[in-house]
Amino acid sequence: MSISTSPVPTRPQVEGTTRPVRHDPPIIVFQNVSKTYPNGVPAIRDISFTVPPRDFVFVVGASGAGKSTIIRLLIREETASKGHVLVEGQDLARLRRRHLPRLRRKMGIVFQDFKLLPTLTVAQNVAFAIQVTDPGRSHLKEKVGEALYIVGLEDKLNTFPTELSGGEQQRVAIARALVHRPRIFLADEPTGNLDPDAGWGIVQLLLQINHRGATVVMATHNREVVDLCRRRVLAMEGGMLIRDEQEGQYLKEGEANL
Amino acid sequence: MNPVPAIRFVVRSALQNILRNRGIAFASLLTVTLTLLGAGAAVGVVSALDTVLHQEETQASVLKVFMADHISFASALNMEHTLALEPSVRTASFESKDQAAAQASSTLGLGGALHILETTGAGNPLPASINLHLRNIGAVTRINNQVSTSALLYPGPHQTDYNKDVIPRVQHYILAAQLGGAILVAVVGAVALVIITISVRTAAFVRRKEIEIMKLVGATDWFVRWPFILEGMILGIISALLASAVLLGVGLAFGSGGSLALGVGVRLALLIMAGLVLGGAVLGSFGSLFGIRRSLAT
Repeated sequence: MSISTSPVPTRPQVEGTTRPVRHDPPIIVFQNVSKTYPNGVPAIRDISFTVPPRDFVFVVGASGAGKSTIIRLLIREETASKGHVLVEGQDLARLRRRHLPRLRRKMGIVFQDFKLLPTLTVAQNVAFAIQVTDPGRSHLKEKVGEALYIVGLEDKLNTFPTELSGGEQQRVAIARALVHRPRIFLADEPTGNLDPDAGWGIVQLLLQINHRGATVVMATHNREVVDLCRRRVLAMEGGMLIRDEQEGQYLKEGEANL
Repeated sequence: MNPVPAIRFVVRSALQNILRNRGIAFASLLTVTLTLLGAGAAVGVVSALDTVLHQEETQASVLKVFMADHISFASALNMEHTLALEPSVRTASFESKDQAAAQASSTLGLGGALHILETTGAGNPLPASINLHLRNIGAVTRINNQVSTSALLYPGPHQTDYNKDVIPRVQHYILAAQLGGAILVAVVGAVALVIITISVRTAAFVRRKEIEIMKLVGATDWFVRWPFILEGMILGIISALLASAVLLGVGLAFGSGGSLALGVGVRLALLIMAGLVLGGAVLGSFGSLFGIRRSLAT
């Protein structure tokens, strides 16, 4: 895949970019984590890394490398077979089921398939995240408007998802994830269903969200995006973490395609 | 959490569930109505049968304690009082020799024979007695044993008489009717439960994406459950009201003289209707809980 924007995109320059605060305690910790699915297939093996607050991390690798498993472990859709996953110091294996909603409200999550409700308008889709978690929250319209303004869709309030492009639909999903003002933003292949231009727009949006103070973890196999952004890269292969590089690239220099 | 917007959301979602899946909702409404109709009819029939059997039971729950001729009237009244204090005894009434003769003359047609005995100087051969109406047919044998062995009365023992053959038969029929009714209602209830469970499971499948999003953005399990529980309750209650209306219509059409068909009284009819509505709501709620369980498991 190549990005065909005109002019050719260069490394995004987000003004006053917030850099991760290395001396703060890590917001995400993976400690010797392995995950084997019930069918016996090991998804990830003995992975350890930490993510400081306000970091932007790409998790890269081919299909089946274990990228999505990392995201699923972080939202506690899966639990580790071995090791510990900690979010803000909380060991997710010990998190009671009734406390799971509280964890998820700290996170914004977007997926490749957008997960929008086609019968609801853009505004209703975004408001849905508030209505089902905090129905009494005041200023619902303002919060929805603010989230849609951030993603640049403030003029599409009453449009239905099916009337939007893929990139716009992903922006709606991002707006929905933003209404809780998450401290952690997780994106699982957010550009996977998008054309290069739209995908690039989404990555810029995620960089903005990171700039506003959120920690972003983005699983992707979009090589161009990773190489242009020059952010931290966790490279996965066969369920193992083979590289953890600050300002890294999709492939190690001199390395052939994965 | 402010309950008002939450309730509004739950109610709206439940109604949307029903409207979006109106085909399935209609099918389950129809089937649950038919099953509740069966349950209501079963309760009505069993109640009518129970009433008849209880009338038989009341008639059979009579124990006559005969007094020897030498027992004084005062002693007999004292015995009557003692027996009336027994918890199993509903009423105890003294029947004198003359009253026994009058009774025999009027009901058994023995007036002529008694008259001959009186005129020949043999006197009235019928004994005075205390007639006991017991609360429960099961107590007849016990009280009989106590009276006939003089555990309750002094002097004793006393001769007694009761429907030895009828009692076990009536007891058997009552037990069979109650057991049969209970099994029928349980089976019909289970069928309704399964139908509502399938209906809600289908609704949950149709809305799986919505449920997935709700969980991802941090909705609690109960917040996800409530619209489905309410949906089940609404379906159950509407089904119960429809079944009640049909039963009432049939009861009025075939009833007479202030009671519905099968001699079911207005009070019992109201009780059955209230039971159906309550049962429909409970079945709907539990069916929904079972139906949504799988969707929440992941």
